[in-house]
Amino acid sequence: MNARALARSPVASVVYVAAAWLVLVPLFKVQPRYLPPLPVVLADGLSVWPDLVAGFWRTLVETVLGFLAGVVLGVGFGIAFSASRIMERAFLPIFVALQTVPVIAFGAIVVIWFGNTIMAKVVIALYLAFFPIAVNTLRGLELADPQRIALMKSFGASHLQLFLKLALPTALPNILIGMKLAVALSLAGAIVGEWFGDTVGLGVMLLQALYFEQIPRVWVLIIACGAMGTLLYGALVLLERRFVWWRTD
Amino acid sequence: MAYGLRFIRSAWPVASALALLLLLWQFGAAALDIPTYILPRPAEIFVTAIAKWPLLGDALTVTLIEAVGGFLLGAAIGIVLAVLMILVPPLEALLMPIAVVINAVPSIAFVPLVLLWFGLGMESKIAIGALAVVLVVLLNLLAGLKRPEADAINLMRSFGAGRIGILWRLQLPAAMPGLVTGLRVGLARSTIAVIVAEMMGAYSGIGQVIYQATGQVDYLTVWAAVFVASLGSLALYGVLVAIDRKLVWWR
Amino acid sequence: MPDETTAVATPPHLQLVNVWKRFGEAPKQTVAVRNVDLSIEPGAFVTLIGPSGCGKSTLFSMISGLLPPDSDGSLLLNGKVQQDGALLGKIAFMPQRDLLFPWRTVLDNATLALEVEGMPRRRARAKAEALFPEFGLGGFEQHYPHQLSGGMRQRVALMRTFLFERDLILLDEPFGALDALTRSMMQRWLLDIWAKHRRTVLFITHDIDEAIFLGDKVVVMTARPGTIKCEEAITLPRPRDLGVVTTPEFMAVKKKLLAVVEEESLKTFAAASP
Repeated sequence: MNARALARSPVASVVYVAAAWLVLVPLFKVQPRYLPPLPVVLADGLSVWPDLVAGFWRTLVETVLGFLAGVVLGVGFGIAFSASRIMERAFLPIFVALQTVPVIAFGAIVVIWFGNTIMAKVVIALYLAFFPIAVNTLRGLELADPQRIALMKSFGASHLQLFLKLALPTALPNILIGMKLAVALSLAGAIVGEWFGDTVGLGVMLLQALYFEQIPRVWVLIIACGAMGTLLYGALVLLERRFVWWRTD
Repeated sequence: MAYGLRFIRSAWPVASALALLLLLWQFGAAALDIPTYILPRPAEIFVTAIAKWPLLGDALTVTLIEAVGGFLLGAAIGIVLAVLMILVPPLEALLMPIAVVINAVPSIAFVPLVLLWFGLGMESKIAIGALAVVLVVLLNLLAGLKRPEADAINLMRSFGAGRIGILWRLQLPAAMPGLVTGLRVGLARSTIAVIVAEMMGAYSGIGQVIYQATGQVDYLTVWAAVFVASLGSLALYGVLVAIDRKLVWWR
Repeated sequence: MPDETTAVATPPHLQLVNVWKRFGEAPKQTVAVRNVDLSIEPGAFVTLIGPSGCGKSTLFSMISGLLPPDSDGSLLLNGKVQQDGALLGKIAFMPQRDLLFPWRTVLDNATLALEVEGMPRRRARAKAEALFPEFGLGGFEQHYPHQLSGGMRQRVALMRTFLFERDLILLDEPFGALDALTRSMMQRWLLDIWAKHRRTVLFITHDIDEAIFLGDKVVVMTARPGTIKCEEAITLPRPRDLGVVTTPEFMAVKKKLLAVVEEESLKTFAAASP
């Protein structure tokens, strides 16, 4: 049973995919233009190791700062929406619509505002993280069951107590869902933000690899981006298991 | 008639909020003396969008064709894969780890690769759009197909239903809400991925217009292009919502 | 009531001979059902009661063909031994919860089994529509399940079971989730339907009143591992109405069965607490 759980874990997936890459690429003589052999990619990664670490670190900082700011702002707006019906009916549809807007196109504008600073990337990451968190916070807060609200009121609970003891715990699983969606978007935002002009970061390295047509380098960076995405997602899952273990039905 | 009335009732707060925001933007920016190159006024953006319509309209057409093409291709692949995995469980064990690993990478990180493989034309944009859609559709549909509980499957079996019968009458309808979620998220992702790919290398499209206008410091055109692209993707989203209602009619 | 002259000649509709079900391997093995012998005559209404967790559901899964019994026993339908899975599609089975499909109208939920059998939609619908008044669902054909009350949903599920025309019907606590008033109405209604259609019914419940009121025979199961504790023939005259539950005959049977069930429930209780 335990071995089976291990076999299904993401770590096993990575090992399995790496093994397949190692074996199948030479076996089927896949052209390096599409997928270079794994050792070639790893060697390339090692050759630029210091740059890679610096870029990884920079992109991680941009992503995390933007994500955290997005959480604060998103949860705040979610609470405001749930507190005011007019706010919700007037602004939520605009939010939902804005979510479908190709927000990354704003990257150019944000760079005009903030120049080539780290702020520009943070703001783009924030912007992308904000919507899913706000929408999921609102949906979560709306899940509070009227009968439980009535029960709390019968105990004489104040608005604040109702919010802290019932609405917020009910909403937390949903907020976590929003955060998991948001963290991937923050990462994408930070990477694209770097394309509008910067010198350090995984996005910058991706752009350079594209210009010099270095396919192994592109694969190194894809792996690095995947590792960062997994790291951030994994951190959220750990947070969830530790602090938000209950489910809202 | 009643429907129209309900629509007006739910639309007016949104319309007034939108009008309020635009007015605030228009006159607030003027009152605060914000230079137009930093924040153009909505009226200017609108005028520019109309003046540059020949350019923007053509670009939007290209972008929408790529986004819809990528979306349809990706959704089709995702749906076929999910159904195959349900019917042939070993296939799921074989392919799922690959899907999980690819899904961990932000799809825009594949943009350079796709450009190097398929060139600067439409093919690369359709490919990246499809990639952005495949996994989210596959994972959502697969979760939906597994949703029916053992009791419901047993009931179907007690009626003598086989695997295909259970898939068709129970699992597929039960998976529709999941599929719809996947399609919605996928459409937004494919539009974004296509525009990003156009910014990095293309002959035409909204992303290319934005890229060139940024280079020429023509910020009004950047804003107009973002505006037009937003309208385009909103329209796509509207079409999808209408289709979704047909797919999940029982709610 | 079974016809006395033919009952001798025809085999029981359903017969269980030494049926066992064990889960797991030797040291950690749990026995869910042990040495069950039971026979049900054609057209009879048999009710089955027992403490919760006594293996009723496992027994039901075996009878409906979803779960093979262990190889030391056998299941016979109309006198013929049934191999693993051979019972699937031969018995009309209604699970505890209604399990209506939310995406189908009431009418299309009712015809589900017929569709699975391959009957054309139009014919299946025509057949179902004829039953709607009798099941108290007239006018609700085009509604969706979420628009119905609990009692109505249960009637839709029952109609689905009846439309799957098999001579043997298995009902697993079909009224368990209903309130007492709805429940007693549904019981009388079910007896009417049964009297008209004359199918063989095996009905699981944990309510002694329900078991006596409905059944020709009440079968009591023991605490886990479940087996048959005793069988009690109910000779109350039919058709039965509400008044029957206050008759001395009813009371006498109830007293007897209560004592037996109580004894078994206590065993379960004692086993659960250290």
